[in-house]
Amino acid sequence: MKKIFLIIVPFLMISLVIASGSLFGTKIQLPVEKEKTVRQDKKNPKQKIRMPEDHSKQGIKCTTCHEGEYPTKNDPMLRACLRESVLSEFNYVGEGPGEILIDGMSQNYGGVRFSHKVHAQMSAMSTGCTGCHHYNTSVPILKCADCHNKDRMREDVSIPDLKAAFHRQCMNCHKQWSGENGCNTQCHVRKGESKPQKTDKLLSHPPLTEPGKMQWETNYEQGRIVTFFHDEHNKLFKIDCKTCHKQDNCVKCHDKTKQTESGSKYKKSLSEHHKPCISCHNENNCQKCHRDGEISPFNHGKSTGWTLKSYHSKLACAKCHGNQMPYKKLDRNCTNCHKNFRTGFNHRVTGLVLSDTHKDMDCKSCHANQDFSKPPVCSECHDDKSYPSSRPGKK
Amino acid sequence: MKRRDFFKTAAAGVSIAALGSGKAAGSDKKLSEDRVGVLVDTNACVGCRHCEWACKTAHQLPASDLENFNDSSVFSEYRRMDAGSLTVVNEFENEENKLLPVHVKIQCMHCERPACVSACIVGAFEKREDGAVVWDSGKCIGCRYCMVACPFQIPTYDYDKAIQPMIRKCDFCVERRDNGMLPACVDICPNEALIFGKREELVRIARQKVKRKSDAYINHIYGESEVGGTSWMYISGNDFGKLRMPPLALNPAPGISESIQHGIFAYFVPPVTLYALLGVMMWVTKRRKDEINNNGNGNQDGKEGGK
Repeated sequence: MKKIFLIIVPFLMISLVIASGSLFGTKIQLPVEKEKTVRQDKKNPKQKIRMPEDHSKQGIKCTTCHEGEYPTKNDPMLRACLRESVLSEFNYVGEGPGEILIDGMSQNYGGVRFSHKVHAQMSAMSTGCTGCHHYNTSVPILKCADCHNKDRMREDVSIPDLKAAFHRQCMNCHKQWSGENGCNTQCHVRKGESKPQKTDKLLSHPPLTEPGKMQWETNYEQGRIVTFFHDEHNKLFKIDCKTCHKQDNCVKCHDKTKQTESGSKYKKSLSEHHKPCISCHNENNCQKCHRDGEISPFNHGKSTGWTLKSYHSKLACAKCHGNQMPYKKLDRNCTNCHKNFRTGFNHRVTGLVLSDTHKDMDCKSCHANQDFSKPPVCSECHDDKSYPSSRPGKK
Repeated sequence: MKRRDFFKTAAAGVSIAALGSGKAAGSDKKLSEDRVGVLVDTNACVGCRHCEWACKTAHQLPASDLENFNDSSVFSEYRRMDAGSLTVVNEFENEENKLLPVHVKIQCMHCERPACVSACIVGAFEKREDGAVVWDSGKCIGCRYCMVACPFQIPTYDYDKAIQPMIRKCDFCVERRDNGMLPACVDICPNEALIFGKREELVRIARQKVKRKSDAYINHIYGESEVGGTSWMYISGNDFGKLRMPPLALNPAPGISESIQHGIFAYFVPPVTLYALLGVMMWVTKRRKDEINNNGNGNQDGKEGGK
């Protein structure tokens, strides 16, 4: 009897250990690979957010959204909605819908026509897509109802319900724009009444005329004239509209209320006036902008002595100079940026097509010490040739 | 014998007082942990005044059409509640953006330790377990002590009614809530600027909002600890003083008056002291009289005077 017992007990124990091991094994499965849906609210399992399969590969830190180290299907351990701070990837304006009919919420009112295109076009100068689509880490765009509950009486009141979510999106700007907050002044039409006709104006914003050169006369005595090249900043320096036009909204241009007599409602302080410039440019260098006359447009060749040609002129400044302002001066060694120059490099881009004999040679053979700022040396192989009187190829 | 009787009654009085004070402490209902509240987010309020309309309608007070409430001309002057409106929305200038004024709804704050309940001499006010402070028209004698006591000056009075004038204030829609509905104002708010929920949860949400959007909100949850905490709480991007929310101390409003009243009158101390003092005075005067009499009669019997 005792012997049987002695055999059975360890057997039972081993099987128990195996069983529990396999149990835990399934529990600590990371959801990132297999899962297509992630539940947002523990208390409300019906409420789902569909996260794209590859969202773990988008270069977003897991801890941005997940509180715990091992989020699971049943407990994704999501933090409270982070809105703008979540990295986003969006489509271009043209890919979005033109107009959306928001319907099915109200019993008293008909659907609300929302001109998505106008808002998308104009948001480029304010909050961007993230201003409204605040919880999307990538396409597809989530519906508001995916996160915002339809019921006002609900357990988790930390995020607004669907009705509030819609209204907050619209009202914060529209109240500012027109000062109106009535239901059927802007958006809603009572059921049964006719809906406003679709107009082209509603569907798309007329193209904006982008300013080229702007000039102001100031009170600053050491230099009254300030010239600003808007087109340079935008086109040449490839600075995003949003970088400067952070807080702009419709009101900046569409001043419907005209409340003040002086004309401009935004009485900017001195620091506010300078803020857009000094956020990049050195604050103490007044002469940079304040001159007695107009300054000439930026010319890389004139300012630095290195004229940008073909490929380099198409690059954003930060590509070579980095994001740190003021920009650092680079030396003329190509390897500053082109660290992986090697045999097989398409020499054509420099303006010189190498002849077949030179094509497969090592860079160092001509460019001593890989110093590309100095003229190439021919004397390593040729006794009678020198650059630039004779070239190793065609120009 | 007479003195012995006096002490007997005094002792009885003290015991009654002790019982009485014990009873008073017991009548302070313990608040439920799940007691509810409302978090008012003035950043989300757009001043549509739909809450005013909903409140009037829910309480059978005269109200015009809902669409008339969109009229923002009423904001030209600061308004307070009256017998016909239990809540009002006021507009304040926003220094940061003049085009986006701040709107603040005011109503009874439903204090955790309400001064009106403490001040009411007939017990017409009651702090319900769920947080609401309600008023019983059957018990009220119209003394209006509650109006004086309220640190937010909320209760109003039917001054124009000669017969059965009523004290009026927000009742947290207890009737609606008992029927499983939300307060009328919370229900209608288009922006959910009024968030209804458990008070504990609301404090947590408010703290989170203030912390996460530190540029949009000032670091103050009005009502979290003012006058010992209120069921209705506010968060805003503007200083509450500028929104005409009274700057109040953190201790409960009835605290001082109650501590004085309950402290001095505890165990019948003033009457007992008074009667004791009077007794001593009587005894002293009587003894003096006896001494004078004894002196007048000559030193005949000293034993009686001693007694």
